[in-house]
Amino acid sequence: MLKFCLKRLAFLPLVMFGVTALLFACLQFLSPEMRASLYIKDPRQLSQLEAVIEKHGLRKPVYVQYGLWLKQVAQGELGYSETAKMPVAQAVRAFFPATFELTLIAFIPIMLVGVYFGVLSAVYKDKLVDHISRFVAITGYSLPSFVLGLLLLMVFYGKLHWFPPGRYALETDMLVHADTFRHFTGLLTLDCLLNGQWTAFVDVAKHMVLPAATLLYISVALLLRITRSSMLEELSKDYVRTARAKGLPERVIIRKHALANALIPVVTLSSLLFIGLLGGVVITETVFDFPGIGRWGVQAAQQLDIPGVLGSTLLAAFLFVMANLVSDLLYAVVDPRIRVGN
Amino acid sequence: MMRSLLAALLVVGSVPSPAAALLAVKNPGVYTYLTISDADSLDPAYSYDTASHMIILNIYEPLFQFDKASTEKLIPLIATQVPSRENGGISPDGRTYTIQIRKGIKFHDGSEVTPEDVKWSIQRFILQDRAAGPSSLLMEPLLGYASTRGDDTKILPTVWADTQKAVSTQGDKLILRLPKPYAPILTILASWGPVLSKKWAVSKGDWDGTEATWKKYNNPAKETSPFFEKAMGSGPFKLDRWDRKTKEFILARHETYWRGPAKLKNVVIKGVNEFGTRKLMLQAGDADAIYADRPLLTQLQGLEGVKIIDDLPTVEMNPVVFFTYKINSTGNSFLGSGRMDGNGIPADFFADKDVRKAFAYSFDYAGFISDVMRGKGTQATGAIPKSLPGHNPKGKKYTLDKKKAEEHFRKAYGGKLWETGFKFTVAFNTGNLPRQTVCQILKRNIESINPKFKIDVRAVEWPTFLDSYKSSKLPIFVMGWNADYPDPHNFAFPLLHSQGDYPTTQKFKNPEFDRLVEEANGETNIAKRKVIYAKLQDLAHEEVPQLYIIDAVRYRTQREWVKGWFHNPIFPDSPYGSYFYSISKD
Repeated sequence: MLKFCLKRLAFLPLVMFGVTALLFACLQFLSPEMRASLYIKDPRQLSQLEAVIEKHGLRKPVYVQYGLWLKQVAQGELGYSETAKMPVAQAVRAFFPATFELTLIAFIPIMLVGVYFGVLSAVYKDKLVDHISRFVAITGYSLPSFVLGLLLLMVFYGKLHWFPPGRYALETDMLVHADTFRHFTGLLTLDCLLNGQWTAFVDVAKHMVLPAATLLYISVALLLRITRSSMLEELSKDYVRTARAKGLPERVIIRKHALANALIPVVTLSSLLFIGLLGGVVITETVFDFPGIGRWGVQAAQQLDIPGVLGSTLLAAFLFVMANLVSDLLYAVVDPRIRVGN
Repeated sequence: MMRSLLAALLVVGSVPSPAAALLAVKNPGVYTYLTISDADSLDPAYSYDTASHMIILNIYEPLFQFDKASTEKLIPLIATQVPSRENGGISPDGRTYTIQIRKGIKFHDGSEVTPEDVKWSIQRFILQDRAAGPSSLLMEPLLGYASTRGDDTKILPTVWADTQKAVSTQGDKLILRLPKPYAPILTILASWGPVLSKKWAVSKGDWDGTEATWKKYNNPAKETSPFFEKAMGSGPFKLDRWDRKTKEFILARHETYWRGPAKLKNVVIKGVNEFGTRKLMLQAGDADAIYADRPLLTQLQGLEGVKIIDDLPTVEMNPVVFFTYKINSTGNSFLGSGRMDGNGIPADFFADKDVRKAFAYSFDYAGFISDVMRGKGTQATGAIPKSLPGHNPKGKKYTLDKKKAEEHFRKAYGGKLWETGFKFTVAFNTGNLPRQTVCQILKRNIESINPKFKIDVRAVEWPTFLDSYKSSKLPIFVMGWNADYPDPHNFAFPLLHSQGDYPTTQKFKNPEFDRLVEEANGETNIAKRKVIYAKLQDLAHEEVPQLYIIDAVRYRTQREWVKGWFHNPIFPDSPYGSYFYSISKD
């Protein structure tokens, strides 16, 4: 297994190189004036366009710019992101933990609810629970996340004043930026607990409830439907019929036999879902004013912040490779027929 | 569809809840402003965006300040008095300014502001001269040129000596020597070149004020400045923290501020892009003021505890329609066939005055104001906004008159245009609704005059727009201009002088315009300047290099408990952002 993992990880630099080379190739289609738009935001600056192009070396051939960027990377620098107003590596460190934390908090309920209700829906096909599950799944899948997000904000913040938007309240803001507060993990909820700041923990958790609930509702639908269809397929197979004929209890048939086989597509989907969430959920982050990586990535792309785009793309490529590796390993866990490394 | 749904949701969310109705002053002593703007840098010599500039003018202090809402009357801050000919502060030839520096003003670290700090700050503002930065605003009046670098990007040999001559100290006085009289210099100094602590800056690795090192700090990378994310000024607030992750600035009261501490203990300026979220935070009392533009006004009216202050004047001219006199036809799809054959236009299409006049008579100015701006604002009469001296309210205006438009179209190109027709594309930058509407109004009206006239309207992203703009490929473009300082020259030059920002791209050059702009700028007598600007306005009406549409007004949305706010249209980000010193919550 170790050999398998190392072999897969060895491809990582190659994937990253490919992604960045492709991005730089795309840059050939953008004129220096277009790329200077990152630095020219106001008509008052228009007369200085040429000076800006000169200053940032935007007239150099793309391969030269790629070479300079690679040289920077070799020196451990990823450039400066204009949209984040900080170096790219620092931006990743600043934005990613918030998204990671939100993903973790949302992903566990997504898995539990999606798989549980998917199985339930398949087992009780065309019964009330199936209808309700499917209705919830369809509404969750079709409801735009910004509509759901705003609705939740209106009810739970506007009316009830329970769950405010943002990352934390001003008091917590002051506290977590004080010299005495130690950032052990970068995950704010955990760090608040480790610092013994219970009130701050509650405040941070309160700020995460609505974005996590939105992610849960919009993401669970797909998982639920895949689990349901996969489970239905397994339940109609001969080995299940044989198990029933042998008199095995239905609970054992579902849990030990059918579910294990039905989980393979679920594992694939879960890993993709996890990457999707980690890559940032732009609309949810925007509606809830949550400082995650998705919002930064999109802003960087919109404003042609090339170092920012490269940074967020490298992160996405890394996550993609890692998630694929993990899902391959999980296949072996859920399906004994698959042996990793052989 | 989605926008309608969102609007409906926001209306539902606007119904006041019992909790909101009973809301007492929330977070007293802490003022929270939610914006969409993203500050660029806190270095006063680097930043040229309103979001940064608004914060800078709360942390740092310039020599003078506008007296509350006035855009003409100045009050002294770091200076002890505003120089004038009467008090001897301005020499009879208008070229030497002597400014006494106030004693006893403390920086946020407790050290005293000295004349050396003032001199160093202004020299640093000039010499840093980053590309597309604000340095030219002081360089032009003080050195007589707009950049420290030549066309070959090399530093000009005389810059250091010129700067030393222009900005110096004599005991407790700052001496400014101008190469020629420059009427707006004091209003520029009221907004730009505030005073920074030299000692603090040097300790952080910034320029030490010597000739040997200044070039190293010329045209720097933004993040290399110690003032990029930290500050050491003498203003009523000090920077507690700029959290670039959450797009949040936290300012704390300067307890030993020389005019007495501010009433607010903290100010929070936070970037929240989503309007729905900003609105809900305002309703909940977690925000005291928010940014919202004109189309969103109806969604804010009638909110419990929220006050709308409307009809606030601006110092801007936006939108403006610009005609390109000589269009770059190389690989230009905006021109159609590039010939006068009914399927395109020639490169000099708008060089014909009759075409420009026909376009001017084809625009529905009143309709734009009533429909797009919801009846707010008045039709502009020239390039100079009505909040500035030099604006002539009695100036001639164009109105929608299709008969006159037809007359001019028939006269254009000796009658050939009317027979062959034309086709071209007008572009606007995506997401700007007023500019989009301007293009659409022109298209609708002009196409209705003659079925052979065709105009395509195309939305393009800002990078593409910028590319086409810079290379003069846009036959018509719609842009605007916001003031750097409240003086008519700040509009007359960039809009009408052949070396101005827009005429350069328009390829528009008229010696009479240049002469009038320069003459007005050198004239320090207000009455005489007004006469020159009136002539300039008449000439612009006759020549029509541009269409001026509206003298816009804005509105502000704040909680009712906010007291002491005043509107000065020249203050950056006003009326949304503020000078927080006068504000309280009770």
